[in-house]
Amino acid sequence: MSIDVSGITKKFGDFVALDDVSVSLPTGQLTALLGPSGGGKSTLLRVIAGLEAADAGRVTIEGVDATRLPAQKRNVGFVFQHYAVFKHMTVAKNVAFGLEIRRKPKAEIAARVDELLRLVHLSQFSHRLPSQLSGGQRQRMALARALAVEPKVLLLDEPFGALDAKVRKELRDWLRRLHDEVHVTTVFVTHDQEEAMEVADEIVVINDGRVEQVGTPDQLYDEPANDFVMSFLGEVTTLGGVLLRPHDVHISATPQLAGAAEGTVARVLRVGFEVRVNVLTDDGEDVLVVLTRAHARQLGIEPGARVWVTPASGATTVPPMEAAVG
Amino acid sequence: MVEVSTPVRWLLRLAATGYVFFLVAWPVALVVRQTFADGLDNLLATFDDPNVVNALELTLVVACWAVVINTLFGVTISVLLVRYEFPGKRLLSALIDLPLSVSPVVVGLALLLVYNGRNGWFGPSLEDNGFQIIFSTPGMVMATCFVALPLVIREVVPTLTEVGDDQEQAARSLGANARQTFWRITLPSIKWAVIYGVVLSLARSLGEFGAVKIVSGNVTGSTQTATLMVEAKYQNFQQGTAYATSFLLILVSIACLVVVALLRPKHQ
Repeated sequence: MSIDVSGITKKFGDFVALDDVSVSLPTGQLTALLGPSGGGKSTLLRVIAGLEAADAGRVTIEGVDATRLPAQKRNVGFVFQHYAVFKHMTVAKNVAFGLEIRRKPKAEIAARVDELLRLVHLSQFSHRLPSQLSGGQRQRMALARALAVEPKVLLLDEPFGALDAKVRKELRDWLRRLHDEVHVTTVFVTHDQEEAMEVADEIVVINDGRVEQVGTPDQLYDEPANDFVMSFLGEVTTLGGVLLRPHDVHISATPQLAGAAEGTVARVLRVGFEVRVNVLTDDGEDVLVVLTRAHARQLGIEPGARVWVTPASGATTVPPMEAAVG
Repeated sequence: MVEVSTPVRWLLRLAATGYVFFLVAWPVALVVRQTFADGLDNLLATFDDPNVVNALELTLVVACWAVVINTLFGVTISVLLVRYEFPGKRLLSALIDLPLSVSPVVVGLALLLVYNGRNGWFGPSLEDNGFQIIFSTPGMVMATCFVALPLVIREVVPTLTEVGDDQEQAARSLGANARQTFWRITLPSIKWAVIYGVVLSLARSLGEFGAVKIVSGNVTGSTQTATLMVEAKYQNFQQGTAYATSFLLILVSIACLVVVALLRPKHQ
C-alpha cells in the first residue's frame, strides 16, 4: 500500500472535518476521493500532504511514517484547485522550482523541465508568465511542476474545479492518459461523480468526515454499500419502498409481471434521446422512469395513461434512508 | 457614473483645483520662489554653512536607519499578522496604527520618559554602559521609526492578504523550507508593496519634526536635523537659508512622489 491513513481525526473548532478515518490507497493507481462539498475529502488530502496537521491518527507514505514530517519532507506532489502558480516566474521557472530547491545541476534541470513541458504540451510557452496562460494550461503547468520532483505520490485537490465544462472534460481524459504513461500513485479529490467514475481505478466515497465505501467504479455503482453512495453516484427513485435507478424500472402499458404497481403517467419530459416519465402509483409513490424515446413511443406513453411499473430483473436496489443509518 | 450637468461639472473642477492650489501649490511655489529670489545665492550660501551640511547629513543618516529598521520589522510584523493566529493579534494591529493618530510630540515625550539618562526607565543603566539614546542619533532614529512604523505594514498587509498562501503552500510541498519560501515566493510577490512602503517611510522620516525635536535636544551642528534647522534659521532671521533647506526637502518629497507614481500602476 502506498498511502496508509489510520484513525485520522481533524476538527476545526466545533466542526468535525474528519472522524476517525482509516483508508489504504494502493501503489500506482489513480484513486478518487469523492463526496459532497464540506464532507472532509479535501482535508484528508491536505493531511496526507502535510499541509494540515491531524488532531489524531497516523499517515504512512510508502512505508514511512509521515505523521510528524513537515510538508517539504514528504516528497508528495500537490496540485491546487486554483493552480497556486508562482506568478512572478516563467512557466519553465515554475516547473524548475522543486529541482532548484534540491540543488540539481543546471543541465539536468533544463533537460527535465524540457521533458515535462513536452509531456504537458506546453513546450512553446516555456518563457511566458502564468498570467498569459489559460486556466487549463495553468493547471497543466502546475501538474508538471508537481511531477518535476518525482514525488512518491501525486495529490490533486479538485484539479479541474475552476475550469469550464469543456476544458474540464478534456483535462480529465488527459489526466487518465498521463497516469497510464507516468504511473505515479495519484489521488484526486472531486465532488463530480461522473469525473470520478470516468477517471479513477478506485473511488473512496467520503461524507460527513467518514468513509462511506471504497471500491472500483463498477463495484460502487452495482453494489452500493448504502443509500448515500447509491444516491450520490447517480439518480435514484423510490418504488415499492426501495431505492433504485430510474433506468432500472420496468414500465409496461399492460399488467405483464406479477407484483407490478399500477399508476398514472403524471409528466413526460424528453431530454435528447431519453424520455423521463413521472408515474404516480395508486399507492401514492412518485416514481421516475427513464427509457429511450423509441421504447416510450412504442408503449404509447403520454400524460394520463395507465401504466404498470416494477423493478427490472437484476436491478440494483437499496433500502431507503431510515434503514441505512450507520 | 451619474451624469452631472456641464456647469456643475465645471464648478466642481474649479472648487477642487482651487482648494489644492491655495492650500498646497501656491504656498510651496512661494517657498521655491523665495529660494531663488537672489538667483542661486541662497542655495550656494546654504551649502557653505557647515551646520546646514551637518544637518542634512544627520537627516539622511537618521532617515536611512529608520527606513531600514522599519522595513525589516514591518515585513516581519506583516507576515506575522496575516499568516499566523496568536492571542493579542488584534491589539498588536491596533497598536501599529497608534503612531498615525498620536501627535509626534507625545511620541518624543514618551521616549524621553523611558530612555533619558537621568531618571528614565532604561536610560541611566544604558548610559552607564556607554549607550546614549536621548540627545543622540539612536534616540532620533527611534523617534523616527515610531512615527513611520505603520507605513510599510499598512502597504504590505493588504497585498499579503490578497496574494493568499496558496503559492507558499505549493512551495512547501515542492520541498522549500520556510526561509526559501520567504525569499523565493513571499518576498517577490509583495515586492512592490514593500518598495512603496519604503518610499513613503523615507518621505515621512525625512520630514519628521516634532518627535525628533524633543529627543534630539536640537543642538546646532550636532543633533539638529534639516527640519529642525529650517525652524531655527527662520527664527534667527536667516530666511534665505531656511527657504533653501525647505526647497531641498520639497525636492526630495517630489522625487519620492514621482517614484511612487511610477510604481503604482505596476503595483496594481
